[in-house]
Amino acid sequence: MRIVICVKEVLDPDAVDNYVLHGKLEIGDDGKTLTQTSIPRLMNAYDEQAIEAALRFRDNGVECTLDVVCVGADPTAILRQAAAMGADEITTVPVENGSVDGHAVAKILAAYVQSKGGADLILCGRQASDDDQGVVPALLGELLDMPVLTIARDVQLEGDRVRVTRVTPEGDEIVEASCPAIVTISNELGTPRYPTTMRTMKARRLQPDQATLESLSLSADDVRPVVAMSKQYVSSVQGNCEFIDGATADDQASALIAKLRAERVIE
Amino acid sequence: MSNALVFCSFDAGRDGIPAGAEEVLTLARKIAAARGVDLDWLVVGAKPAAVDEIAARHGVAHVDQIDDAKLAEASPDLLVAALAGYVSQHSPGLLMMTQTFDARLIAPRLAGRVGAGVVMNVVDLEDTGGGVKATSTAYGGDTRVEYDIAGAAVVGVVADPLLPEPASSSSSPESRSVAVDLGGVDERIQVVQKASTEGPRLEDAQIIVAGGRGLQESENYALVERLAEALGGMAGASRPIVDDGWTDTAHQVGLTGKITRPVLYLAAGISGASQHMVGCTAAKTLVAINTDPDAAIFKYAQYGIVGDCLEVLPALTKAVKGG
Repeated sequence: MRIVICVKEVLDPDAVDNYVLHGKLEIGDDGKTLTQTSIPRLMNAYDEQAIEAALRFRDNGVECTLDVVCVGADPTAILRQAAAMGADEITTVPVENGSVDGHAVAKILAAYVQSKGGADLILCGRQASDDDQGVVPALLGELLDMPVLTIARDVQLEGDRVRVTRVTPEGDEIVEASCPAIVTISNELGTPRYPTTMRTMKARRLQPDQATLESLSLSADDVRPVVAMSKQYVSSVQGNCEFIDGATADDQASALIAKLRAERVIE
Repeated sequence: MSNALVFCSFDAGRDGIPAGAEEVLTLARKIAAARGVDLDWLVVGAKPAAVDEIAARHGVAHVDQIDDAKLAEASPDLLVAALAGYVSQHSPGLLMMTQTFDARLIAPRLAGRVGAGVVMNVVDLEDTGGGVKATSTAYGGDTRVEYDIAGAAVVGVVADPLLPEPASSSSSPESRSVAVDLGGVDERIQVVQKASTEGPRLEDAQIIVAGGRGLQESENYALVERLAEALGGMAGASRPIVDDGWTDTAHQVGLTGKITRPVLYLAAGISGASQHMVGCTAAKTLVAINTDPDAAIFKYAQYGIVGDCLEVLPALTKAVKGG
């Protein structure tokens, strides 16, 4: 069974959050790129969990080849991490940072999967923690004509069927589809395994395979963004909080409840 | 572009109207007016009773409905096929959805099917003379990103800072039945076990008291639950304490949890990380309790108490009970 796992390199969202909280996030002259080189570049955490989901198949005795692919500028480090976790094949499709949108990434991934003779299962993180868009798996499903089962906390393979437990607002839902299928993984899956030192050392020497737009028979037109990012800025919040004073917690509590009642927020 | 702008709903909420529908209609009306085109509302599946009245209030020109026995159990393949059929008949320039759980899959699938651009997490839209500029949240709400789409677009709207506003004059929407052939469409995803909808949902709660790390210990989450009960509301939680098992994921508010829109959201011992705030900034009134006067949560709050939530929560419960 061939399982393709799509991963993305992102800026560490916690570091970005930290800079924002301290009012120190820097945006470049183009008005959209976050420029601080001190922000670590990591594998999108949901994608790490997608690799973990695949490794659990192998733990359970499913014979499978795990093929991790990344469309990005220079994702060698995260692909080595994927190899250290247990990926059998790692491949990069280089594109310049910010030059492709979700539509183009889906086209590249679809062409990649087809170039490999298809896949029985494709796993993706539910969304990337940089743009939070989460549209690539669905677009990929359209291009490859596969069902897309989203927001999984558990994935099981039973013959040529995939069974997924989805985290919905109404609670867990269990769904099934025939392979080939695409599944997106949510954080509820649990913490991904940490590669052993030995495997990390070994992976350090690995060079990812490289596919190019040309080798995938894609033209510049094919990957021209439909959705063009033109600007990025830090969200402003109003910041006009009225602080409730009082000598004791009881005084503060009474004053707050009186205010909320006066404004009919509560009865 | 003379094509209508379409708001589409398929995710029947408790009353059949997805939460945030009126916010999206408010935004849609702005674009329709800028383009000088009709604003239409497409209902896929059964039409909830309130649709016509809400549509009239927002100046909707047509209420279109695709009703097909196969759509009774809304499933992705049928929904996408129905919407794609509508798009091929009506060629809307812009199709908008409230970003429900299901819309996160349906919107991009539809866009892929019909060759439109797709943007999710949209908080604002501007007409750019035929195209559209969509403003979305990114990095869990830390940043806003503007995207330009030149041609047809499908967008998922999170109603975060928008206020619903009725049109200056109401309309008398014309009802149209739209036929789409779903005969050849088979759902590829089978539901083995439905999610249970027992009990009230955090998304529907009018009052939410939420706790975070400031509670210090798992046992103290009961203080949150007690105040929620006294207020007749529900208890929420930030992701870190859910990850640590202080309460279950049904209570998690934020980017990967519930997007809530209560009348009152009271955050106790929550720092205000953007990932959490995504799930509660639509609250009408936000109250924060935190020991740190510089905590980010106070930037979002209308009322703040600088203090230890372990003391303030019981005091509030007492005050609510009139003690």
